[in-house]
Amino acid sequence: MTGPAPPSHRWIRLIEPACTSCMICARECPSWCISIDSHTEPISDLPPTARERTRNVLDRFAIDWSLCMYCGICVEECPYDALEWVGDLTQPESSRELLVQEMVQPPSDAK
Amino acid sequence: MLYAALVRDRPHYGGSVRWVDWYGDGSLYVVDVALACCALEFDAASPAAAVPPPTLDDQAQVAVIISGTVTDRLAPAVAAIVDGCEQQAGRRPAVISFGACASSGGPYWDSYAVTKGIDQLLTVDAYVPGCPPPPEALSAVLDQIAGRVAS
Amino acid sequence: MTEVLPEDWLAEVESLKADGFDYFDWLGCVDEIGRRDCLRVVLVVRNVGHEAEPRTLSCSLPRDDPRIDTVSDVFAGAAWHEREVAELFGVEFVGGDHRRLLLNPEFEGTPLRKDQVLAARAGMNWPGAKEPGETEASPGRRRLVPPGVPDPVVWGDRDASQPLADPAEVAESAVGGRVRWRRT
Repeated sequence: MTGPAPPSHRWIRLIEPACTSCMICARECPSWCISIDSHTEPISDLPPTARERTRNVLDRFAIDWSLCMYCGICVEECPYDALEWVGDLTQPESSRELLVQEMVQPPSDAK
Repeated sequence: MLYAALVRDRPHYGGSVRWVDWYGDGSLYVVDVALACCALEFDAASPAAAVPPPTLDDQAQVAVIISGTVTDRLAPAVAAIVDGCEQQAGRRPAVISFGACASSGGPYWDSYAVTKGIDQLLTVDAYVPGCPPPPEALSAVLDQIAGRVAS
Repeated sequence: MTEVLPEDWLAEVESLKADGFDYFDWLGCVDEIGRRDCLRVVLVVRNVGHEAEPRTLSCSLPRDDPRIDTVSDVFAGAAWHEREVAELFGVEFVGGDHRRLLLNPEFEGTPLRKDQVLAARAGMNWPGAKEPGETEASPGRRRLVPPGVPDPVVWGDRDASQPLADPAEVAESAVGGRVRWRRT
């Protein structure tokens, strides 16, 4: 890798396709600021003789920025590199509730 | 309480709180309640033009920045300082909770000695996340309060 | 580090000062529950300019009645260190200043003793308690306990018919930075 390192300790982004809901970031976070909800779904495209297998589906990934201390432990610990630093700043808000950032887009109603 | 007495007995400028004319032009006066590390970011954010104002102009915006961890012991003093600023300015200042500790207790929310955010005692107008927030985060919030950017 | 008996503490400090160790560095305390049933008070003095190594004194006090002489008449600066140890560990410095230093007057407890549970953590729902694939943490037998929270079997959810957990059990149960499975 060449070039200067990207700016860090400013804002964290979730790369949703890489997240497996393993819970490691939520467990390692010293401030308890990461909230994750997930559920399991059976995997459909398997050969007919295969036994049933399930996968985790991420429903909710939220970081409470009023608690986050920007240590980056979650970014380092994620086994799937699903969290990364981004150079923008987390924006100030007029209430603490608004500082909880939901990072998972709700599923579209059209199926 | 000592701090409340200090502020109450000195209603005129020249009392125990240090006002800063942020832009040096009398449009915004700021007081930093410097509690912990975030206070250093306040210092770093202060423009070169920032000076102590000779008087507090009625037309200027006023803001109080709570920078750092609010311990249970000091929390009433912080509230007293903000009350004192309101008295001195003649109007309620914008209260900015600067950094995670002032906003929620931050990484110390679980401590036996920390208040979980200054909003337990005061109304906060802006919560600035960060640990600490970089200086430009404070500059941006103050620019908004001063009406220098579209909010 | 020199181990000193409580009755010799003041004399030892005075003697060190007379020997040229007249710079008081710090006084602190360690709760050794889990290894030894005592609170260890530690004091460090220096002979600045003449000795490279500081002198360290240690005194082990019983946890249920920790009393030791104040050294604030020998080193005035020790008073604040002693006040901090007194309010955070519950040590009494005989003849010293008994005022609170950092904690509110209404505060109860001795927070730096290892059997003092960080109640805020024990009371909050830990986001990490859920398993992958869960939206609600299931109240099943296998539950995760976050660092800093004692095993609920020991403190919090203890069976009412059991006697209270002794301090060593609570301290040992809360130790560690790794997530553990709950004992069942």
